[in-house]
Amino acid sequence: MTAYVIRRVWQMIPTILGVILLIFILFNWVGGDPAQVLAGKISNPAQIENIRHQLGVDRPYWYQLWVFVKQVFTFDFGRSWSTNELVSHIILTRIGPTLTIMLPVVAITTGLAVLFAVLVAYVRGSLSDRMVMIVCTVAMSVSFLVYIIVFQWLFGFILGWFPVQGWSESFWKNLTYYAPLPIMLAVFVGVAPELRLYRSFFLDEIHQEYVRTARAKGLPENRVMLKHVMRNALIPILTNVGINLPGVFVGSFLLEVFFSIPGLGREVVTAVNRSDFPVIKAVTVYLAIITMVINLVVDVLYKFVDPRVTFK
Amino acid sequence: MNRQSSLLLQVHDLDVRFRLDRKSEPFRAVKGISFDVPEHSTVALVGESGSGKSVSAMSILGLLPENAIVGPQSRILYGGRDLLRTPQAELQAIRGKDISVIFQEPMTSLNPVFTVGEQIAEVLRQHMGMGIRQAQARVAELLNEVGIPNPQLRVHSYPHEMSGGQQQRVMIAMAIACEPKLLIADEPTTALDVTIQKQILDLIANLQQRRHMSVLFITHDLGVVGDIADRVVVMQDGEIREQGPVEAIFEQPKHPYTKALLACRPRLDRRPRRLPVIDDFLRGDGQLHLEERHRGTSAADEIILEVRNLDKTFFLKEGLFGKRAIPAVKGVSFRLPKGKTLGLVGESGLGKTTVGLTVMRLHEATGGEVLFEGRNLLALSEKEMMAYRRRIQIIFQNPYASLNPRFTVGQILLEPMRIHGIGADDRERIDMVMQLLRRVGLAEASFYKYPHEFSGGQRQRIAIARCLTMKPDVLICDESVSALDVSVQAQVLNLLQDLQDEYGLSYIFISHDLAVVKYISDRVMVMNEGTVIEMADSDDIYRQPRKEYTRRLLASIPKGLERAKELEK
Amino acid sequence: MSAILSNPPAAARRESPGLWALAWRRLRHDRVGMVSLVIVAFFLLLMVASYAGLIASDWNREVGVSYANPSFMAGAQNLEAQAIEQRKAAAKAPPVDLSDVDPLAPRYKEWAERAAKIAVHETKRAETLPFGGDKWGRDVLKKTIKGSEVSIFVGLASAFLATIIGTLLGAMAGYWGGKVNDFLEWFYNIFTSIPYILLILAFAAVATSTGKFGKGIVPIVLVLSLTGWTGIYRLIRAEYIKHSNREYVKAAQAIGASNASRMFHHILPNVSHVALVQLSQYSVGFIKAEVILSFLGFGVPVDMVSWGTMLAEAQNELVIGKWWQLVAAGASMAVLVTAFSLLTDSLRDALDPKLK
Repeated sequence: MTAYVIRRVWQMIPTILGVILLIFILFNWVGGDPAQVLAGKISNPAQIENIRHQLGVDRPYWYQLWVFVKQVFTFDFGRSWSTNELVSHIILTRIGPTLTIMLPVVAITTGLAVLFAVLVAYVRGSLSDRMVMIVCTVAMSVSFLVYIIVFQWLFGFILGWFPVQGWSESFWKNLTYYAPLPIMLAVFVGVAPELRLYRSFFLDEIHQEYVRTARAKGLPENRVMLKHVMRNALIPILTNVGINLPGVFVGSFLLEVFFSIPGLGREVVTAVNRSDFPVIKAVTVYLAIITMVINLVVDVLYKFVDPRVTFK
Repeated sequence: MNRQSSLLLQVHDLDVRFRLDRKSEPFRAVKGISFDVPEHSTVALVGESGSGKSVSAMSILGLLPENAIVGPQSRILYGGRDLLRTPQAELQAIRGKDISVIFQEPMTSLNPVFTVGEQIAEVLRQHMGMGIRQAQARVAELLNEVGIPNPQLRVHSYPHEMSGGQQQRVMIAMAIACEPKLLIADEPTTALDVTIQKQILDLIANLQQRRHMSVLFITHDLGVVGDIADRVVVMQDGEIREQGPVEAIFEQPKHPYTKALLACRPRLDRRPRRLPVIDDFLRGDGQLHLEERHRGTSAADEIILEVRNLDKTFFLKEGLFGKRAIPAVKGVSFRLPKGKTLGLVGESGLGKTTVGLTVMRLHEATGGEVLFEGRNLLALSEKEMMAYRRRIQIIFQNPYASLNPRFTVGQILLEPMRIHGIGADDRERIDMVMQLLRRVGLAEASFYKYPHEFSGGQRQRIAIARCLTMKPDVLICDESVSALDVSVQAQVLNLLQDLQDEYGLSYIFISHDLAVVKYISDRVMVMNEGTVIEMADSDDIYRQPRKEYTRRLLASIPKGLERAKELEK
Repeated sequence: MSAILSNPPAAARRESPGLWALAWRRLRHDRVGMVSLVIVAFFLLLMVASYAGLIASDWNREVGVSYANPSFMAGAQNLEAQAIEQRKAAAKAPPVDLSDVDPLAPRYKEWAERAAKIAVHETKRAETLPFGGDKWGRDVLKKTIKGSEVSIFVGLASAFLATIIGTLLGAMAGYWGGKVNDFLEWFYNIFTSIPYILLILAFAAVATSTGKFGKGIVPIVLVLSLTGWTGIYRLIRAEYIKHSNREYVKAAQAIGASNASRMFHHILPNVSHVALVQLSQYSVGFIKAEVILSFLGFGVPVDMVSWGTMLAEAQNELVIGKWWQLVAAGASMAVLVTAFSLLTDSLRDALDPKLK
């Protein structure tokens, strides 16, 4: 297994370099001179000149690339173009709120989706099955924006059960007071697509031949579904969760924007509005690395889930 | 083989239909059949694909798919109950305990995420109420009984870690664990290698004897039936054509279909000029060409293709940076005489097919020469090779995958002619295609149809016609009849033979089926793990095999057919 | 089947159904699918009519009072409009009469006559509009129609482009394998290592701050397609790998068909239905994405209207009780997306039916 891990880490290097290259091309080459970009946004010309110098805009491209690579590996992206805050500080402080929202969301959504998927699998082909699927489809067709606007209005404004916006310093206050409405919103919207997907996983498994063998052995239907089918369906389900896991760090940026939660997602959106390139570049590159690491960990853990997996 | 007359299971008037979609009429798979399974005996349910034999067997335990409809007048009697009307809970108590099943594909029939031990223990704990430790001990005993080495270790293995034969043994262990009275075996050996097949069949026969079970054995292979069955039920198109004790069926078959089935399978002891086909019997005029055909080669034969030291190694990535070499073909040499057939036989694995593909340069060889008309084909450039492409052609095994589903038959047949510039214009080419369609026995209207509208045998004919458009000299038949029903196989073999007689084609016939190879080949080459074990004229090799592997191969051929009495000429 | 089948004297030519004909037949029997198809077609027609200027071309005109009520709420109060009217009325109130102290007083009559000659149209603003008005009195119904044109066009165009990119790259990777595959996989890994939203935002950042991606709706189409092709690349690559190993492709090689012929003449028709279903799925996804991006201000430019910009305005309207813009944009989008999603499902079932 160690050989496998080493090989995977070795393979990650060209990809990381590729990401750096892509971001560089996008922001430094296509994006070009910060002076043009920031012209309307920063009033102080000396500040703009400073930024240009730091970036090495008047130097050849390979020099700029080298600067960028150095920044990545020393975790030093300088300062935000708009707030002058240290970019590294920005990233580290914003991750907390994002995860406070997203981790419960992932856990609850997955749990509910699996539960409903099993229930629907029991009644497959029936009218209830079709109704549930159509409800899911309609629910997925309404824009997230509409849900947020309506939920905020209903639960925050009209009913007053939850605060419409805000965040605090205390972890517990956040978790129990400020987070519930956004979490509820995300789960409500997230269950439908997961349910559809997990249902299809279950149905695929139910039609496999080993299910017929299980029935032929005289096992009751419950045992067949909950032990044999479920255990196999968990494999693609966990794969799916693993794929979506890296997205947790950016979180639901819409929720953060609407609810004024100081998370990484909102930070990125603000940065895009202000053309604050260093923040965007840094977040992108680091999240890419985190994604690759998470993928590797998931792949290694996979062996415990699916005995057929071998490490080549 | 006891001749007790008490009946274990009685099937009355079984009628099964499948609902295909909301609009059409349900498809009748089984049309009201009745048969019995006596105690302590083996009943063989024989038929080709689509005969309804599997569906009938699955109805017994209610294991049919969700869209199946069983007719109201059908009854399946066991132990005083009608299994079709037994409530679920009682049926579950019977499944796995009184009546159990083993299936055709052991790899997919076993749950991939549980160990073999867990799956067998499950049935012990469900029906016999055993505790975990007790069940585990019993599992090891069972694995031993079915012939799995190192049973203590194997208990913790996963299905994918075992070979096909071992997986099937595990299925058998699972099925006999609770001492059932009836074992239903649904084509259990069809997916296995020839030598393993024999082992599994012996195992089942032994178990049947020792445990005084009955076995309902479903198969399409009459040879197997002759070896193991006490009674035979012959099905076709959802109906029973004939049933009775095995001696009666084999020695005095009454129904033309039964006669045809017995006759059209190539046998080891005879080689008629043409294989009898079902129509010969159904028409009843019995025009059979049963004179023997002599096959063999002589030193004076003109050689059309010579292969010297052919090597093909596949490389897989492995470890940190390395590559693993898998030699598929090692130093293979042979000569193909003009107008004759060279049979290439051996168990499944990479070797045989790879030889064919490499000769045609569909794989690039890693070494060796292929001499055709004095030129080494492997040394030619792609452009030079084009001129020779039409001279050597291939017919693949899977008739459902070798024709492009999106092309009409006409497009499929015109394409090679257009590529090689055969025929002056499309008008002429279409004429030639129509002629070819007639020659291979298909209607001219086939030109406008799509492959999915044809059966397996008809698709192989289209594939043959595609090769013939280029007027090749050499035809490689890569397991070309292995996927076909026995009766269809006979038709296609006859067609191939006719073409060889008429056009002087030379064949390389690759197959794992020894009886077919002996029938159609002049010379036979036996391969194992990529090397040539033995090569001789076909009669010689079957009469006097010299190598151990060849002898083992020959010994595993079911001899059941030889019981059938010789047909009158 | 006998060895020789009888031969009809003159082979009649009968059209045999190919894949698409069979699929169409199946689709026709799928009621949900047909209804969805009609709805989607209706929206497409709307889009074309709007583009051609036949309807809603004057969506930008401020024809109604501020926050005009929808016609079905004709009698309801409109406090905002009233407030504006009052302000205007206050501005129009006749000034104090200064004629006795104003030295210019004798000229009043002359000026009044001149002013009367220049007719100024003071159009009366409508009290109600079919589906209400927004803050500036623009017709919400017309905005919804025009918005659908933009949102649907962006969604479809991005979907087409992404499908073409992904299919081409997937075909090359799947068919050629080897170094081509290695390179394309590296390329694919780069794009998929970055969380999708982040990737879009990064591209959007460059697109909106510099003009380098083009003008109008071109930037957002490029952003969506350049980031979204990865899904179909994976699918098509897998299909090409599967089919390249199928015997009919080996048979094509055996008869001497070229690589290009094998890739596009033989394999592509077997894979195109996968691409079509994916195209349909992409359309749905990109319509939803455009709405969100336009909402945030990274999508279509401010002088155009899309469902996203409408929702952005609606965000602040709900608390003062003006719900019609939210409902108009939200509902029409929901109807289209639902229909399109159901259509995608029906398409998939029609092209690749499985017994469920």
